[in-house]
Amino acid sequence: MNPFHSRRDFLRRSGMGLGALLLATLSQSAAAAAPPSAPSPLAPRAPHFAPRAKRVIHFFLNGGPSHVDTFDPKPALTRYAGKPIPGDYLRTERKTGAAFPSPFAFRPRGQSGLEISDLFARTAAHADDIAVIRSMHAQVPNHEPSLMLMNCGDSVQVRPSFGAWTLYGLGSENQNLPGFVAMCPGGMPIKDSENWQSAFLPGVFQGTFVDPQHREVAQLIEHIRSPHADVPTQRRQLDLLQELNAAHQQQRGNDPRLEARIQSFELAFRMQLEASDAFDIQREPAHVRAAYGDTVHGRQTLIARRLLERGVRFVQLWHGAGQPWDHHENIEGNIRTHSNDIDGPIAALMTDLKQRGLFEDTLILWGGEFGRTPSVELSDGGKSKLGRDHNHYGFSVWIAGGGVRGGTAYGATDEFGFRAVQNRTSVHDLHATLLHLLGFDHERLTYRQAGRDFRLTDVSGEVIRDVLA
Amino acid sequence: MEGFLRLLAFIGLAAFLALPDSTQAAPPPDAHLHWAFQPPRRVQVPSQPDSTWPRTEIDAFILARLRSAHLEPAPPADPRTLLRRLSFDLTGLPPTRADVEAFNSDFEQDRPAAIHRWVDRLLASPAYGERWGRHWLDVARFSDTKGYVYGREERRFIHAPAYRDWVIQAFNSNLPYDRFLQLQIAADQLVAPDSPDLAAMGFITIGRRFLGVTHDIIDDRIDVVTRTTLGLTVTCARCHDHKYDPIPTDDYYSLYGVFHGADDLPVALGEVHDANARERLQAYHSKQAERLGEANARLRTRLADYLVAQLELQNYPEEGFEQILSDADIIPHSVRRWRDFLRQTRGTRHPIFEPWHRLSAIEPREGAGFAGQARAILEPLLSDAHFNERVRLAFQRPVTSMREVAARYGETFQAAEVDFTAAAKVNPPAVPSAAVAQLHEFLHSPDSPTTVPDTAIVNIEYYLPTPIGEELNKLRADVDRRWLEVGQPAALILRDRPSQPNPRVFRRGSPSQPAQEVTRQFLGILSGSGRRPFTQGSGRLELARAITDPANPLTARVLVNRVWQHHFGRGLVETPSDLGLRAQPPSHPELLDWLALRFIEDGWSIKSLHRRIVLSAVYQTAHRPAPESDPNHRLLSAFPGHRLEFEQVRDAMLAVSGELSLARGGKSSELLDAANRRRTVYAFVDRQFLPGVLRTFDFANPDLHVAVRHETTVPQQGLFFLNGPFAAQRARKLAISSGNHPASERIRRLHQALFQRSPTDAELATGLRFLQQAAEADARREKPPEPSPWLHGSGEYDEAARRLKSFKPLPHFTGTAWQGAESLPGGETGWAQLTATGGHPGNTRAFACIRRWTAPRNVTVSFSGTLVHEPTEGDGVRGFVISSRHGTLASASVHHGRSELTGSALQLEAGDTLDFVVDIGVGLGFDQFLWNPVVTSGSSTWDAARGFTGPANSNQPLDPWEQYAHVLLLTNEFAFVD
Repeated sequence: MNPFHSRRDFLRRSGMGLGALLLATLSQSAAAAAPPSAPSPLAPRAPHFAPRAKRVIHFFLNGGPSHVDTFDPKPALTRYAGKPIPGDYLRTERKTGAAFPSPFAFRPRGQSGLEISDLFARTAAHADDIAVIRSMHAQVPNHEPSLMLMNCGDSVQVRPSFGAWTLYGLGSENQNLPGFVAMCPGGMPIKDSENWQSAFLPGVFQGTFVDPQHREVAQLIEHIRSPHADVPTQRRQLDLLQELNAAHQQQRGNDPRLEARIQSFELAFRMQLEASDAFDIQREPAHVRAAYGDTVHGRQTLIARRLLERGVRFVQLWHGAGQPWDHHENIEGNIRTHSNDIDGPIAALMTDLKQRGLFEDTLILWGGEFGRTPSVELSDGGKSKLGRDHNHYGFSVWIAGGGVRGGTAYGATDEFGFRAVQNRTSVHDLHATLLHLLGFDHERLTYRQAGRDFRLTDVSGEVIRDVLA
Repeated sequence: MEGFLRLLAFIGLAAFLALPDSTQAAPPPDAHLHWAFQPPRRVQVPSQPDSTWPRTEIDAFILARLRSAHLEPAPPADPRTLLRRLSFDLTGLPPTRADVEAFNSDFEQDRPAAIHRWVDRLLASPAYGERWGRHWLDVARFSDTKGYVYGREERRFIHAPAYRDWVIQAFNSNLPYDRFLQLQIAADQLVAPDSPDLAAMGFITIGRRFLGVTHDIIDDRIDVVTRTTLGLTVTCARCHDHKYDPIPTDDYYSLYGVFHGADDLPVALGEVHDANARERLQAYHSKQAERLGEANARLRTRLADYLVAQLELQNYPEEGFEQILSDADIIPHSVRRWRDFLRQTRGTRHPIFEPWHRLSAIEPREGAGFAGQARAILEPLLSDAHFNERVRLAFQRPVTSMREVAARYGETFQAAEVDFTAAAKVNPPAVPSAAVAQLHEFLHSPDSPTTVPDTAIVNIEYYLPTPIGEELNKLRADVDRRWLEVGQPAALILRDRPSQPNPRVFRRGSPSQPAQEVTRQFLGILSGSGRRPFTQGSGRLELARAITDPANPLTARVLVNRVWQHHFGRGLVETPSDLGLRAQPPSHPELLDWLALRFIEDGWSIKSLHRRIVLSAVYQTAHRPAPESDPNHRLLSAFPGHRLEFEQVRDAMLAVSGELSLARGGKSSELLDAANRRRTVYAFVDRQFLPGVLRTFDFANPDLHVAVRHETTVPQQGLFFLNGPFAAQRARKLAISSGNHPASERIRRLHQALFQRSPTDAELATGLRFLQQAAEADARREKPPEPSPWLHGSGEYDEAARRLKSFKPLPHFTGTAWQGAESLPGGETGWAQLTATGGHPGNTRAFACIRRWTAPRNVTVSFSGTLVHEPTEGDGVRGFVISSRHGTLASASVHHGRSELTGSALQLEAGDTLDFVVDIGVGLGFDQFLWNPVVTSGSSTWDAARGFTGPANSNQPLDPWEQYAHVLLLTNEFAFVD
């Protein structure tokens, strides 16, 4: 693949509708400018082998969603209700007591009969496209390190996020939008932007944070609108800029860095228009908006689809600021509310992607940083809090879309859902599998830093072949 | 992958893309012969009798290499270019037009003397340290904040400003580099306890806190020290021997021991004059003393439980696995401390714990099998007076399990404490028996696992039940906040611990798998045959001296290479922090060695090194594109141009508009605050919330030692300059300062201010044409609307009077929001914020958010709008619409829902206000809301979102001259040196 594509090719690739037209009519000097020779660090690139998925959407249920209430049915909990769970006592962050059966019914869904609880009844309509990995495990029962592990592959050290690695490997299909967008309603999740950091990779690979509670595009993306110059003024300014730069460049020969900077202003000009368009869901037909729902989660999921179809490589959707899925108390009520927030939007997205022919090369990842205990959490005085503590010994995530074998349940936790026992799957295994679907050998997508060739999966990770279609 | 490789090469990443490696997994046996481990060689400076080009020895080396590649050096740069280059390079700032003129006339008289004089002048400028200090802060992973911390702690470092200022001052005063390093590693052992040089230790202590996990904090410290000073990647040896360089894991843990042997200690630099700060410190100290007393009492009474815990260590996970602990719980941190103590004393015939050591080796741990072996083992000990008599007595009775052994120890210590106390109570005090005294001394020794070390809370919070750790952290945070508020200079130093046990290697880096013991000592590959363990405390000062030993083959080379890199854009070695076996060899090995040796002979003087480099002919050549045979300009046939770094561009914009503040040092300033006109090096660097603009412009990631910044060109950079307020504000100022002159004169003045040259005829014509077009467009544009009737403030709702008690404008505008402080939460209003369509009320009901509409004339209006509160969490918000004339007109409480707030037929007089007020529900939390009120009257509509503006004028459209100045600021000529 040649990243040094032609100007026309570039405009086409940049996916410009309105913006390109506007540019063509407004720009005089841009057309006369030297042919672009400077690729952006976000220019699209081919991976190691033919990918099954080209883009990723990650629903991050921050706080730690309970697997035994959603995607990992454990009837034994009912039999042991109120009694201690037999076997070794596993330490978690807080003290827990007796077995705590799920208050939610599980049912077999679709042709595959994959069991999913009523909390995700609408998403369950797509069960035959979903592969649940029920044997995930992390390292410690604490949010911060587990968030880092799930997002960046290391609990403690400063490492690039999965999205940053993806962008480093693949570039982006759209130069007029950020290649990696992280949305979180109401502010940052725990650990803030570390969750989508680029670490030692260049800053351009870092996720761009967007708070979808805002509705004005100027508040969604920094500096996307000029408060002091309208579009024709800017165009005139850029034409003058290009003219001065061309004269400057003439004295200096062909220096690609000068050229790159000249191009970057044209890209910036187009980005203003493209971004406004991408984030404006009012441009969607009413029935589409209705399907996603006029809630903040519906809106951010719909924005995500608009970004993905415009070539944004990686979108991460967080549930909300802080850690909404941290259900230490009254899990029955809280998990119902939070599931209800996203069940509809996720189902709508899957349907929508299918209708647009995007489902087969979009990778959907659903999960949190760990799961929750099958035993009930106790207060200091030893009383039940009707909630569940953190559980890193065993939990579920699911994937769907490009290259995923749907209707699959892979691996298993023990009889009670406390510890992954069968086909135990580490976060590195999960990352290796996701990178594989994106066309990468996870051992070869590396970056040399501080004397080592770093990779997302550190020194381990096996592709889980059983979830591949 | 071919295209990928070319792309990476283009954006300067090729050196970082690992190519499929050879399967090599260990350094070759002759690794010690690697050039960088050999002392720099004294070589003959090449002679070039047939060329007059070389001006210095450096040039001779350069020319020899150029000629071997059949290249000739470019002609010298013109004086304006040279002065711009020198000025940006040495001070980070552009020269003024007057500087260029003065330099020109000096230059005509005597070129070498002129350059000498101007170089001296630039090196003597305080701006020099601000530029070169920042290079050092890149490698020192400098940040004003700790990274992610739990809420109980202050997230800002108290010592960041003082460390930053110390570094800048060290460069300005030309502190010899060896001393510069020694102070940064071991100032605590080199200077008086009240010396301002203690600030230097920020180098070690300003890294990320990794949520307090010791092993990772130490790893970060080893990394920053070894890569910065030695150009070696020692931390590769944390889990296994270094794969490429001769650095065994043992060496890593030798250094681990050095850093493990010290606690972090916050200290005030100079007297604390603020009485409130002194009171807070006192409150913290006395509470900590009380809490440690209680914690120690628990550790001592529950000694038996801690011994039992040693039998089930698998239940006590390593650091990083945090449990919420009460004072009834066994504290895992103390369990580990017991574990380490017992490991260290095993096989030492410890007078108290030898029985424990011997018995704990028995399998099984209980039952008849145990009892029989125990009797045999104990028998010889019980008659040996070397061992504590009380302990021997305790084991006269047979024991049947290790649990019983633990209980027996517990009882023995308890009984001894009772006797010890009783002896002290009689009058006159009796002397306790030697055995009792020995047991008492063990329990109360500061080194004992039954004592929480009496040091700063940052080192010991995990020895305490969770609520106690939080309580003490909060008290310390109160001190920290006050120090930061009053600008108290402070340092975070290291202080060696009283005892220095040898470290153990952790197998595969895992603390739960300790292996062999190693001594604290310097790296083997750099120690030669005289390698000896460190003997003074932790050995940190000895480490600093080993690093700065003139015989060390790396330290001087690494520094001269860094300085060369910042002058020419690339180092002689292209990986400045890795001179190991995988590094590309230097482009000019003899020159590197020559520079390193001269550097040491010059007394490690960095300013002398600058002079050597910038006075050379090669530094003064004109810029030319790289020749095909040397595409990366490594041979330096001409000066390689480079783009200015973000700091240089920002500072230069302020400098050319005449706005640059010369306020130096002290508290950090918010980068994006419109009022901040200080040099960028003084901007607050928040590693947890690094402003997007810094990341966009490839600012050094403050989490990592950064030797070479990335250089990417992305549209977000363009957006910052085009649409952000910063460049536009400078343009407004420039337009004013170009004065009341004819157009061509104004253009000339602007060019001279920005580029220190006059415009060409073509530029002049282009400029005039642009101004003409802009003026025409301006005339066509609708006149700006009347000033917005909307104001944004905070105040309190008076429930009794149903009116507003107060209204105070929110002071800070971010570009998209009005808020109470530069960053949130902050100031008295906490989270208070208003955006175009919503916001967040302040932290208490005294600080409601208020959108105020003022009637522009006598008018009858209606108002409408929906107050939306989306989160399910929290308890929602309250909204009110209040007229200055009619009182409260509408109100609602909303939680996870919405409420329409409307009113109509409202008669108002000019100047009357309508206030749209939101405050918190019962408590603070999840209070963000949406509300876009609209006021209408007949055909007039005042929409709050549309009327949302920043401070008066900042958003006014740029006029033609401002547009023109704005464009000049964005040119490549402005953004590139050469």
